[in-house]
Amino acid sequence: MKPERWQQISRIFNRAILLDEAARSAYVKEKCGADSDLQAEIEKLIESHQQAEGDDFIGGLAVEDVAEHFTEGKEQLALHNGQQFGNYLILDHLGTGGMGEVYLAKDSRLDRTVALKILSSDVVADKRRMQRFRQEARVASSLNQPNILTIFEFGEVDALTFIAAEFVDGETLRDYIRAKRLKLGEILDISIQMLAALDAAHEASIVHRDMKPENVMIRRRDHVVKVLDFGLAKVTEKRGNTEAVTAEEGMSEFTTAPGLIMGTVNYMSPEQTLAKRVDARSDIWSSGIIIYEMVAGTTPFRGSTSAHTIVQILEKQAPSLAQAGVPRELQRIVDKAIAKDPDERYQTAKDMLIDLRNLKSRLALDAEIERTSPAVTVEYARPAPTAEPVVTETSKKNYGLIVALIAIVASLAAVFAVNAWRSTRNQSAVTPSTPVASTPARTLTYWITVQKFKDGKAYQQPFDISGEINFEADYQIRLSIRSRQAGYLYILNEGPRNAAARPEYVVVFPSSTANNGSEFISANQLVQIPDQSWLKFDKEQGVEKLWLVFGENPLPELESIKAFANRQTRGLITDAQQNKAIDTFLAAHPAEKVRNERGDTLTTLTSSEKVLVYPIKLEHH
Amino acid sequence: MKKDPPRQEHEITQLLAAWREGNQAALDELYPLVYDELHRLARRYMSRERKGHTLQTTALINEAYVRLVDQRNVQWANRSHFFAISAQIMRRILIDHARRHAYAKRGGGARQVSLDETATVIHEDLAEFLRLDEALKSLAELDPRRSQVVELKYFGGLNNDEIAGVLKISKNTVIRDWNMARAWLHSQLAGSASN
Repeated sequence: MKPERWQQISRIFNRAILLDEAARSAYVKEKCGADSDLQAEIEKLIESHQQAEGDDFIGGLAVEDVAEHFTEGKEQLALHNGQQFGNYLILDHLGTGGMGEVYLAKDSRLDRTVALKILSSDVVADKRRMQRFRQEARVASSLNQPNILTIFEFGEVDALTFIAAEFVDGETLRDYIRAKRLKLGEILDISIQMLAALDAAHEASIVHRDMKPENVMIRRRDHVVKVLDFGLAKVTEKRGNTEAVTAEEGMSEFTTAPGLIMGTVNYMSPEQTLAKRVDARSDIWSSGIIIYEMVAGTTPFRGSTSAHTIVQILEKQAPSLAQAGVPRELQRIVDKAIAKDPDERYQTAKDMLIDLRNLKSRLALDAEIERTSPAVTVEYARPAPTAEPVVTETSKKNYGLIVALIAIVASLAAVFAVNAWRSTRNQSAVTPSTPVASTPARTLTYWITVQKFKDGKAYQQPFDISGEINFEADYQIRLSIRSRQAGYLYILNEGPRNAAARPEYVVVFPSSTANNGSEFISANQLVQIPDQSWLKFDKEQGVEKLWLVFGENPLPELESIKAFANRQTRGLITDAQQNKAIDTFLAAHPAEKVRNERGDTLTTLTSSEKVLVYPIKLEHH
Repeated sequence: MKKDPPRQEHEITQLLAAWREGNQAALDELYPLVYDELHRLARRYMSRERKGHTLQTTALINEAYVRLVDQRNVQWANRSHFFAISAQIMRRILIDHARRHAYAKRGGGARQVSLDETATVIHEDLAEFLRLDEALKSLAELDPRRSQVVELKYFGGLNNDEIAGVLKISKNTVIRDWNMARAWLHSQLAGSASN
């Protein structure tokens, strides 16, 4: 189109659209005269204009129109290497999973390397589920079970929710299976550690719900297994608690949200595929499938689509592992773990763990026998092309005899092992070592770091002190707390008061990410207050108290302080009645109940109560 | 939380001034710097996106501007220029993204190809978005100013007054340009969709 023509069209168009319907066509006709092409062109544009107005064509913003697609995909990373993210220095992008991106990062406070997981926005969207997940993940982490990944911190920086966890230098079981064939011994070692993790979690009423090789890590240096993401599956599951829905409805779960690439169904238990309530036995199913895969190289139920796989999970029997050449006992364990009916499965991870351990010690015995009979080498793993020695034709006749012998010895060993285990368990259950162990003791250690200031600038090196001290007005402090147990920490600051004055409390934020006046802390987690700067004293002289309140569970008496946990008002509790209620609560927990051991630089507080309440007195002049 | 001040803030301010004075090479240097920042912010804003919460491009560009440009020695004109270039960059960021995510198939609605892990989805709205970009390029050949109005408004989130300031035209001209450009783009898309 020639520019003159274009300008002519736009002139007439811009006038015409200002006129009403009747005047408009007359105006266009008049302006175009005999040029019917021009008239058609303009009429088409006017029609487009009306449609564009009607459906608000490009009326919003481009960024909104593509926003929903923008967060997908691996190439869009939230953080980049070398970036400071809160207290963490981002070192590397380790990978991106269904739940979000994982980075290698350095915690600058403690100079330790962590795995930092940024949860994707759809994971954090549901506040209530997130809260429950935080709790579950923290409880799992606080179990201090060596096969459960330790979580150090939950937080939010720049509106991104993150989890800082122990960094495991190793590979996932997925990569492990892909890279090499596993020997029977390895399969058992991995399975035993995996079940030990589940056993500990189940004991604490935590179900994993998403056991799969991607969530099992094997540490490079010592082959220790770490199970990841306890509780996380629950956050993403759409309607896991719906009882008794049909298979069809259950499957519709996987077809929601266009653009969503869903996870695998291969490890899901039958009840999970039906979106029924799942319990610990669902994890047992999934670990059975994982063990099956380690043995056979593939999961037992694999359809061409998820729907086909689900049908198999619900209806088909798993192909026998007999051809895989593994001991019959392992086949039995797997079969029991993947019984369709949860009631027919192992009822606890512990039972499955015992069977696996017994099998392992039985095989150790086999190995012993093997060593004494050099004519035979036994290979239990898949008889596939492998450099490992396999049973040869010539040795087969001896084999049957030896297997029979092994079976007798092994069953004796198994009986012995189970009895031995039972007797130790009973012992520890019936006779606790000290009476204190029967009540949940709370132990906190704390120290105070003092920084002197002169003319508003830090002066000399900060130093650590224990207990209480007389402070000068220009001292600023930081409080560090570590608890031996997991629990809920509340910190209140009570200002100096005369006998007659009314109590006045201030909510002290346990961390820069805590916004509600209480913080769940994991066992052995270090809490620094404040974690960025220092606590200052006001000009008012006298004795201030920092009340530490640490309970196993959230404390209903202190829940109402959350309303005052406002950073703008510095956590000041303005309501007189509320202050009084706190006073009463604190008075009901006399400090005498807390044993106080003061070392050179740290103080250890112990209480046999469920709630530890202790005032750190700070006197300043 | 206080951010590290971007190291290049002085550099960006200089480049903006150079560009405003007609140095086109400055734009080439400016582009990647602003691109990175906007891209990072866009990603962050979008991950923050919740239902019922409107994403503001101008807020996003403003944040980039505050972060990237040394506020102490800056002139108002620099700001308009920054917004103009940012609108262009936002367009590229979004189009680059859409291109990666909309698989070439045109015409159909969102279709789930398979139910399996490898499920692929064709995003019709992204395909449409790309067609819009193509049409806007044609418009730029026909009428550069009108295509710029669309770019500033739709991609940059600027209002009519700001656009008038950036393009040095009256607000009424902005409105007229917008109406014409939008009608033309709409007719182009309607044409291509029925093909």
